[in-house]
Amino acid sequence: MSDPILSVRDLRVRFGTKRGVAEVVNGISYDLHAGETLSIVGESGSGKSVSVLALMRLLAEPPAAIAGSVLLHGRDLLKASHRDMRSVRGKDLAMIFQDPMTSLNPVRTVGYQLSESMSLHLGLTADSARRRAIELLDMVGIPSPDVRIDEYPHQLSGGMRQRVMIAMGLSCDPDVLIADEPTTALDVTTQAQITDLVAELQQRIGMAVIWITHDLGVVAGIADRVIVMYGGRFMEEAGVNDLYAAPNHPYTDGLLGSLPMPGADRPEKLVTIPGLPPDPVAMPPGCPFAPRCVHSDASRCHIEVPVFEPDRARHLVACHYPLQVTA
Amino acid sequence: MTVAPSTPMERLPEKPVSRSREIWQTLIANRLAVAGLVVLALLVLMAVLAEVIAPFGINDIDIPNRLTGPSMSHWFGTDDLGRDVLSRVIIASRVSLQVGFIAVGFALAFGVPIGLVAGYYRGKTDSILMRLMDILFSFPAILLAIAILAVLGPGIRNAMVAIGLVYTPIFARITRGSVIVVSEEVYIRAARSLGARDGRIIFRHILPNVLAPIIVQTTLSLAFAILSEAALSFLGLGVQPPNPAWGRMLAEGRNFFQQAPWMGIFPGVAILVTVMSFNFVGDGLRDALDPKQKSVIESRGQSV
Repeated sequence: MSDPILSVRDLRVRFGTKRGVAEVVNGISYDLHAGETLSIVGESGSGKSVSVLALMRLLAEPPAAIAGSVLLHGRDLLKASHRDMRSVRGKDLAMIFQDPMTSLNPVRTVGYQLSESMSLHLGLTADSARRRAIELLDMVGIPSPDVRIDEYPHQLSGGMRQRVMIAMGLSCDPDVLIADEPTTALDVTTQAQITDLVAELQQRIGMAVIWITHDLGVVAGIADRVIVMYGGRFMEEAGVNDLYAAPNHPYTDGLLGSLPMPGADRPEKLVTIPGLPPDPVAMPPGCPFAPRCVHSDASRCHIEVPVFEPDRARHLVACHYPLQVTA
Repeated sequence: MTVAPSTPMERLPEKPVSRSREIWQTLIANRLAVAGLVVLALLVLMAVLAEVIAPFGINDIDIPNRLTGPSMSHWFGTDDLGRDVLSRVIIASRVSLQVGFIAVGFALAFGVPIGLVAGYYRGKTDSILMRLMDILFSFPAILLAIAILAVLGPGIRNAMVAIGLVYTPIFARITRGSVIVVSEEVYIRAARSLGARDGRIIFRHILPNVLAPIIVQTTLSLAFAILSEAALSFLGLGVQPPNPAWGRMLAEGRNFFQQAPWMGIFPGVAILVTVMSFNFVGDGLRDALDPKQKSVIESRGQSV
């Protein structure tokens, strides 16, 4: 396999808070290859958004403290200067945010915001940036882009704004597009359009995508690989089909069990996972999921943190008692 | 499942409604604001054409006709040296408006950047800058202006600097407060995620979003700056004789209030009209720019 574009090793993020140190991301590692879609799934507060904001160095430090390494084409971003980081953002690593209603500047036109990163990174003149902005709007499926380019965000619908955000993300041909729950704030029809759009553009442009979501249903359609995150740690990592067919971690199993399955004759009662996610200021010493896990035992799960067994290369699980032992 | 990128689900293109037009319409729907605007326009016109309009020279002394009341030849009467009060009021409008605009421009030029930097960077930068502003702010405005003039010496130019300095912390505070709110917005993070540098984010993304309160404060401060100039001139620290200023004329008129009330009344009315006009326009602008925020009077009325 070729060298990964992005290689994250033992990434840790802590926040100093009034109540103490919040350990939000606790040593996560993954590789991202060209053209691949990696999905990081987890519930609110699992640290998924913070982990990508940390690798883009978009968290204010302090209060955040980031450790580990993030290698982009072999260069460690966590050691890069602010100046270098600015040239990476938007150019090599681009990001789309959750709520398209708030991620566009209300007082600037669509065209201004689209052209901005192109003039910053590609040194395009106003004219050629505008021409390319119209092309991009057309590419993300916005009708009459030559009119829309001079409009303000409030004149666009949510779906269109997210398309504009995607166009902004793609404007400098990034190697990696990070999508932080880009469909969460949209209605279901628009969600499907946006995920399809990203999948289609990815095939055309060949970038890698990190897709952060809490919705396993969205993941199924687009991801190659899925990482399940909980309490700042990775619980399970597998190809999308393997994960759905045979979840090995009790948490993944619980998440899949809580999904409504359309088409079933009589809908079964949805399974819920009892309890609440762990408090990042007072993380349990062992497996973060142990307090909510029906399979946990006091001798191991509550004391020892389970880690990925590296030899089971294609389907990794961080659990002392995985559900299936078919690797 | 493949959905075509453009679908009828998306909203059809709507007619663009310009925000500035919307603001203008709200503003002109407010009668007091319109009245204020008209009066201000006349005042500015008067100041610009002062020398043409004024029927007499400002220092045309006419001792035989001293302290005469309003008449056909001297509409506002004459002062203790027989100078035409109307002409002096007209010429003095120039000084008042000039001091107001330059002093507020000075306060804007320093206060807004200080507020932007303090609100954007927070932390130590914020503490140092804002504590300096607090020190300036802790003195009563007129007292601080007098202290500054005591150091710099009296005169119109120093009065502008003093008033500007006194109003700087107001702009710094108002700007900082809005910047803190706007800095937390996702679109600022999004701009950063595109590789924009701090200066660009501050001036191109944050500043346009915090302009509304700054504009309102500017109009209201113009009123107070003119009032401050009048007060300083009244105390003899602003415009020096024989040049007229409304504050000075008020001070001179005080000595003859029994025999010649017109000497003080007309410059006083000029101050009142100007300050009120700025206030009305400022209130109207605030309502137009920020419909959510009620006027101070309205919210006070509710809380009591």
